[in-house]
Amino acid sequence: MIERHIHCVQTEDPGLEEPAATRARLRHLFPPGAARRLTQLGFLMGSVLDPVKPAEEDGLVYASSYGESRALHEYLASFPMASPTLFQTSIHPSAVQQVLVARQQPVREFFPFGGHAQIVAHAAQAALWSPSPRSILCGGEERTLPPGNSRTASSIGFAFALALSAVAGGSVGSLRLLETADAGGELTLPDFFTALRDRRALDQTAAPGVRLVLAWR
Amino acid sequence: MSNAADSPPVRIEAADCRTPFGDARATCAALRAGRRALALQPVLGAAGGDAVPLAPLPGRALDETAPPAWLPCLDGLVATLPEAPWGDARHPVFVTSSNFGVGSLYAFAHDHDPAHLEFCTPFALVEGLRRRFGWGGNVALLSHACVSAHLGLLLASRALRAGPAERALVFTFDFISPFVTGGFHALKILNPELPAPYAVRPTGSIGLGDGAAFAVLGKAGAGFSLSAQTLHNEMHHFTANRADGTGFAASLEPVADAARGRRLWLKGHGTGTLEAGRLEAEALARLFPGAPLVSWKGGLGHTLGSCGLVELAIALAAMRGGEAPGTVGSAPPCFVDAVATEPFATSAYDGVVLASNAFGGAHATCLLTHD
Amino acid sequence: MSDPLKLRLKQLIVSTLKLEDVDPAAIADDAPLIGSGLSLDSIDALELVVAVEKEFGVKIASSEESRAALTSVAHLAAYIRLHAPPDRPPG
Repeated sequence: MIERHIHCVQTEDPGLEEPAATRARLRHLFPPGAARRLTQLGFLMGSVLDPVKPAEEDGLVYASSYGESRALHEYLASFPMASPTLFQTSIHPSAVQQVLVARQQPVREFFPFGGHAQIVAHAAQAALWSPSPRSILCGGEERTLPPGNSRTASSIGFAFALALSAVAGGSVGSLRLLETADAGGELTLPDFFTALRDRRALDQTAAPGVRLVLAWR
Repeated sequence: MSNAADSPPVRIEAADCRTPFGDARATCAALRAGRRALALQPVLGAAGGDAVPLAPLPGRALDETAPPAWLPCLDGLVATLPEAPWGDARHPVFVTSSNFGVGSLYAFAHDHDPAHLEFCTPFALVEGLRRRFGWGGNVALLSHACVSAHLGLLLASRALRAGPAERALVFTFDFISPFVTGGFHALKILNPELPAPYAVRPTGSIGLGDGAAFAVLGKAGAGFSLSAQTLHNEMHHFTANRADGTGFAASLEPVADAARGRRLWLKGHGTGTLEAGRLEAEALARLFPGAPLVSWKGGLGHTLGSCGLVELAIALAAMRGGEAPGTVGSAPPCFVDAVATEPFATSAYDGVVLASNAFGGAHATCLLTHD
Repeated sequence: MSDPLKLRLKQLIVSTLKLEDVDPAAIADDAPLIGSGLSLDSIDALELVVAVEKEFGVKIASSEESRAALTSVAHLAAYIRLHAPPDRPPG
């Protein structure tokens, strides 16, 4: 069993908010030169990461199943004269890089995950295995309607960030990973997000052999 | 917190790669002979464009088919994996790539053939591969541009130490497509010149190539090991490093500490760009004085997210075979005297430092040793 | 008298790079584009290269050429006038 205590939880639940509205709502968090390049997902990740204040010694884990889907499709539409900015922005893990580059904030360890059914379990493992005194587990999606019904983007937008450490005092909850004989199991990012947003407990097999327990104080 | 390299060692039970030259042994032999897989080809494939250095697998067109033409390459690589119930709780799989199936997404955007869709998102593609290869569900996906494979190695190492894993498989691939070549060309670093890593020249250029590789890691034992692993992320600029080189040093210094007393050679990132190449070469020369430095991207092209593990497999072949390829495509003057432009014997060395770098100022370094 | 090409370039810079709070007319002809003033960086320069090729049919081949051409709006206008294809006079 491995356990870390939750010291900060931040969530963003923009609902059906369009990118322009997210920009208007959150642009004050960034200098103008940086804000003009931020995607909707970048703004959402900035909103949840800023209160957590990533530091160089932290282990940072980021999870997104679809990544920068809007930039991806806009980049494709820019061909044959490909846009260098959109190319750069479309590459995972752009959203977190947008935020940290705007802040000029180095970080020693950074693990960006893709995936879907077991993405939360794998990202949580990376966060809990980190030798850093503090780990930050974050993730999100931006709501995008991809062209051609290609099912290559999320239908909902959200973002979250948790600060985790081995210190129990002052914590608001805990995240534990235990071994289980169960060979199945899944926990997607949207389901994990709603549990965080609603401060709802979780206790389930999240990947083969991995039981995830989220508890609140 | 001390900036120490990840340790203790993990054993490399098996590793291999696939490049346009073939497996690790064939690729190592080709590079030792000074051969290039790169050739000037239209940057946008069927849509034409400037001629730039590319190295797709033999017979594979840049434009993706449905199913992708590179699937048999992965089948061939997987067929050589050590037997194990990969993907169960004790045998986790870490799949790493910079691009996954983005070539299929580009193809769908152009021809609207729904047959591409099952390959378009990273998780859909990997789910298909998992079923194709008969793996269980414990398959993690990591994607961080050109340090992706290093991240897989580091997490696999931690899975062995911290979790129930008995052995861990790191599996990586990147296959070029107009999506990728168009982007690097727009960034003006994929230019109509063959790359010459670490060479002093008026303009730089990279080449891009196909690559796939695997490594099976086990708990410590005799043979080849990953004795130290580090990461650092500058987060200074998307495409530029800090001009003082401190980003490179931050990842290399802990490995230099861990490698004290060893006789080392260096496999750098060296894509053929000028500024990053100079900063990297200078940092390596300062921290590992006297150690010969090579990059093989002048021969293979940059295999993007797979490069860390493709090049690890070649380095292993070089250590086993007794001779390391030189920096194909480069000739003096170079940024530092340590750049080895010709092959050299590896028998005098008991370790290799392998470094990769990526957008966002990401750095990853590992120490390969033989005891 | 204002140069219509320079004004067009200033508008192109603002729209391409999404400089929402910048009045195109306020960009001085000889002000450095990259680094100071507008705080544009190397990616902005590359994006402008693409925009210039689309708008004027003028191709800037290398990053070294782009650094010279994008020194200022005045430099860029001169570059375009020198290299514009005959069938697309920039004005």
